[in-house]
Amino acid sequence: MSWLTSWRLAFRLARRDLLKHKARAIIALVMVTLPVFGVVAADILSETTSVSTVEGIDRQLGSVATASLRLGGDHQVVQSIDPSSGWGTGKRLDRSATQADIEKVIGRRTMQPLNLAVQVLAETSHGRELARADQIDPSTPLASGLYRLVSGRWPSGPGQVVVNQALRDRGIGETLTVVSRDSSERKVQVVGTIEDASTRTFPVVVGLPGWLPAGPSEADMGGGPTGVTPGPGWLIDGAWITPAQLHALNDLGVVVADRYMITHADEFHDELGSDGGYSDDETAQVIALIVVMALIEVVLLAGPAFAVGARKQQRSLALVVASGGTPTQARRVIVAGGWLLGLSAAVGGVVLGIGAAWALQPVAQRFSDTWLGPFQIPWSHLAAVALFGLVSALVACVVPAWIASRQNVVAVLAGRRGDAKPVRAFPWIGLALFGIGVVVAVMGARPSGGQLTIAWAAVICVLGMVLLVPVVVSWMARIAGRFPLPVRFAARDAVRHRTRTTPAVAAVAATVAGVVALGISTASDEKENRETYTPSLVMGDAAVSAQPYDDFGDPTGKATDWKAVEAAVRAQVPNARITRVSGLQDEYSPKTWTAVDFEDPTAAKNAYATIGPGPWANVFGTDVIVSDGTDLPRLITQLAPDAAEALRAGKAVVFTADPSTTRLDSVVINVERHTPGKRGHDRSRVTVPAEVVEPKTGMTPPHALLPPKVAAEAGVPVTTTGLDVTQPGLSKSQQKDLNATLLALPTPASITVERGYEPSSDIAIIQALLLALAAVLMLGGTLTAMFLALSDARPDLATLAAVGAEARVRRKVAASYTFVVAFVGAVLGMVVGFVPGIAVTRPLTVTDYYGQGSSGPFLDIPWLLIVLVVVGLPVLSSLLVGACVRSRLPMMKRLS
Amino acid sequence: MTTESLAGSPVLRLDRVTRVHGTGELAVHALREVSFEAHAGELVAVMGPSGSGKSTLLTVAGGLDEPSSGRVLVEGSDLGAAGQSGRAKLRRTSIGYVFQDFNLIPALTAVENVSLPLELDGVPARAARAAAVTALDELGVADLADRFPDEMSGGQQQRVAIARAVVGDRRLILADEPTGALDSVTGEEILRLLRARCDAGAAGVLVTHEPRHAGWADRVVYLRDGLVVDESGAPVGASVGAAEGLA
Repeated sequence: MSWLTSWRLAFRLARRDLLKHKARAIIALVMVTLPVFGVVAADILSETTSVSTVEGIDRQLGSVATASLRLGGDHQVVQSIDPSSGWGTGKRLDRSATQADIEKVIGRRTMQPLNLAVQVLAETSHGRELARADQIDPSTPLASGLYRLVSGRWPSGPGQVVVNQALRDRGIGETLTVVSRDSSERKVQVVGTIEDASTRTFPVVVGLPGWLPAGPSEADMGGGPTGVTPGPGWLIDGAWITPAQLHALNDLGVVVADRYMITHADEFHDELGSDGGYSDDETAQVIALIVVMALIEVVLLAGPAFAVGARKQQRSLALVVASGGTPTQARRVIVAGGWLLGLSAAVGGVVLGIGAAWALQPVAQRFSDTWLGPFQIPWSHLAAVALFGLVSALVACVVPAWIASRQNVVAVLAGRRGDAKPVRAFPWIGLALFGIGVVVAVMGARPSGGQLTIAWAAVICVLGMVLLVPVVVSWMARIAGRFPLPVRFAARDAVRHRTRTTPAVAAVAATVAGVVALGISTASDEKENRETYTPSLVMGDAAVSAQPYDDFGDPTGKATDWKAVEAAVRAQVPNARITRVSGLQDEYSPKTWTAVDFEDPTAAKNAYATIGPGPWANVFGTDVIVSDGTDLPRLITQLAPDAAEALRAGKAVVFTADPSTTRLDSVVINVERHTPGKRGHDRSRVTVPAEVVEPKTGMTPPHALLPPKVAAEAGVPVTTTGLDVTQPGLSKSQQKDLNATLLALPTPASITVERGYEPSSDIAIIQALLLALAAVLMLGGTLTAMFLALSDARPDLATLAAVGAEARVRRKVAASYTFVVAFVGAVLGMVVGFVPGIAVTRPLTVTDYYGQGSSGPFLDIPWLLIVLVVVGLPVLSSLLVGACVRSRLPMMKRLS
Repeated sequence: MTTESLAGSPVLRLDRVTRVHGTGELAVHALREVSFEAHAGELVAVMGPSGSGKSTLLTVAGGLDEPSSGRVLVEGSDLGAAGQSGRAKLRRTSIGYVFQDFNLIPALTAVENVSLPLELDGVPARAARAAAVTALDELGVADLADRFPDEMSGGQQQRVAIARAVVGDRRLILADEPTGALDSVTGEEILRLLRARCDAGAAGVLVTHEPRHAGWADRVVYLRDGLVVDESGAPVGASVGAAEGLA
């Protein structure tokens, strides 16, 4: 009964205090509510945006069909419950399944023919663009739900189609020209506009079955044994497909997507296996880490507001104790305030988050290529986020509550200001925690897998730092004697009122620690990229290679017109030296491909004999260059100065990263050729004299150089593969123009100019964002404490006025207090940030080259960013505060 | 007052109490081996210049501060042995404080301020309120029960503070310059109330620097530099006439 009564009293006092001091309550409420609101809104939008298999079933099957049955090619099929993520193949079949074959398995059903997701090119006002072509009668009942007619009518004949708005927006008329993969064109009449259930932004054209050439090409099948897009098939009605029927259909080479099975997957796991889903311990750890870090930051930002509240209630709490209350009962008043604010923030944040997510759905839809799923509120997630808000508020008020319960009642009742003495053990505990954090960070600083350990080390260091703040602030006050009055006053006042200073400094420090750690990691990563960059050409040189792919992304097989390409280049750079480079014909021709590698002829049988390893430069369109030694590109003459002589002597030149192979004076050239339609590969091996060389410079070499006779002897198909352009002197915009010209040729090509390492603009953006984040949080962390400091200092400021101080001393005091809190916090944060920042460079920048050595670690300290954060931001914050705070001093007589 | 009511064990007894603030060169001896008693029905005034230790004597007597040496006994209970919880219990049930600045909790109404010690002691809200209203009625301010402190005059606030100090059956009232913030007429009323409470059986200790206020007391103890330097008025067992002369 006593417990309940004292809590009732505590809640009464807390509620009335919050209502009386609304501004302070709102600050604390905002600090706690904002993260709840943000996470709730983001989580709901994420759930709504992602369409699960069950939610998306209508997009696969429409709203009526029981299942879709589609041919998976000329092999039996191995699939899981939902084949949309892919399937495997089994035994080869003599023929594709027919409707009759299928009806033998599942009985007679209504079967609506379809062939979906065939790639075509549609002629638009922008040229030929990829589009998705569906062959199905969209007006039939079984197709319901796949499309929605927005305007016009459904197609009623073979030459009629409907299109979606995405294709309309590309600028098409009432007649559309469509190009298939076999290059055949057909003109069709556009009779209506639809909304496709599965895509919003990709062009779609739908016609009756047969409006495109019969039968898909192998490319249409998704390109290989594990297909993603099956071929033609049927939508069916009737009873759902049983597991036995599914297996039987798979044996016929039919891919099955059954509505009941997919939406009740749990019932079929035993028979058909699950579709995946795995517990990821590392993901759970990352989430836990993010939650802990967010909790620390919110607690530190909201802490000053609770500390202010506890300070304002000091006298009331002293009276509670004087009236017979225990320290626990006094503490309960502050904790009750934490409960009230925490519950309000939790509920308010969730409600506002739901509202914001609802309102932002149209915005999210604009940025999504597919239609959003149903508005989904993941209540279990929201409960966890709300709990986070409540816990944040309670944790934020714990320390002020504990400090309030330790106050000197007599001193408070006598009107003396100041905080209770600090606990002596805390700084030592803080130092110990910091030391533990350093040790854990060192443990995590291993070449791979230590990032999470380092992140936890950062959390431990931050917690240790929080306990060290009062000591550091005390040091600052000790040296403040030599500073001007406002700074001296602010520093000593900060020490005297640790309850409001400590959380503010700690909040700034935690923010700066994160900024410094991230800044070091990104700068070091950039340094690694810079120092491990390997140019592919001599600086300033250029190389032109062919682009033999069609609009579908498939190799064309057409020979490049190098005369036209050379003429286009020469028109732009008339004074440059342009040389044709010959080599192994492109490996990715659809008619045939050839692979060449080079082996050690002295290697033991069954031992690994390939000379290498790569990677190899392919900048001239080949990594095996064929030359008689004249007009070699400068890349080659710098990599191997003796290469020309070797080639003239009829020797192959093979590049290697393994010094032990440079002793070889001959190599085995291993050639494999594949022709479509023919099983297996043609192979040939020939041993030729050679020089095996290590590249002399840091550029990436080709795999090998062959004299023409040797290439012919080995059976290597040779053709012109590129152009070597020496010092073209092209600016970036000129290169862009020339590239566009080359790509527009009947046989397209492209040009590469070696300009050395070009830093990513992302680094500057990331550092700017870090700076902005630090500024916002630094200002937020200092403002609450600064305003309280001014309030506490009223009697002192009045005394200053009485002895002749000018009014603007109030501004100076406010600015000085802001600077003290921000600067001390920033320095502490910088020290803490170095620990995880330096530690993480090891896993981030060490690259193991699998037995061929390793590079790294690389360390780069972004000193400019650090100076800006540690010095610039505190100065800026204090100037801002000084400019905004009013300068009028209180008068003595008004204080009572 | 009767001799019988003044005789017997004292309600408050300080036995060679010393209180030192700070250490080394900064040490301040607020009390030096002070021995002091207050009996039921007795009002003792404590006088002395600023810094003589008057307020320290009161905070030590009420268990808000611990002596550096010596014993403090309230109704026979040694405050030092009672611990923090024990001292809090005594403040809830036996000891009442009256401060110069009234020290009402601004967020509580008059009746809630008065019932505060009872609520802290676990008395059900209804019973606590009833007792508080009775105490307010005794002091003539029952009609202010639901007002907040900033809605009352200084004299009214001090009456409410006295009600808080006497609610329940408190045997010891400690008043630290209770009239300091009041005009003389109101101050006299407050002292009359305190006197009446002592006459009803409580022991009272009144810290004051006003001789005319000390005239309400049965005895006056003079402090200087933490020492009792003089005492006037009838001690326990003295003649009734001397005691009546101060009333």
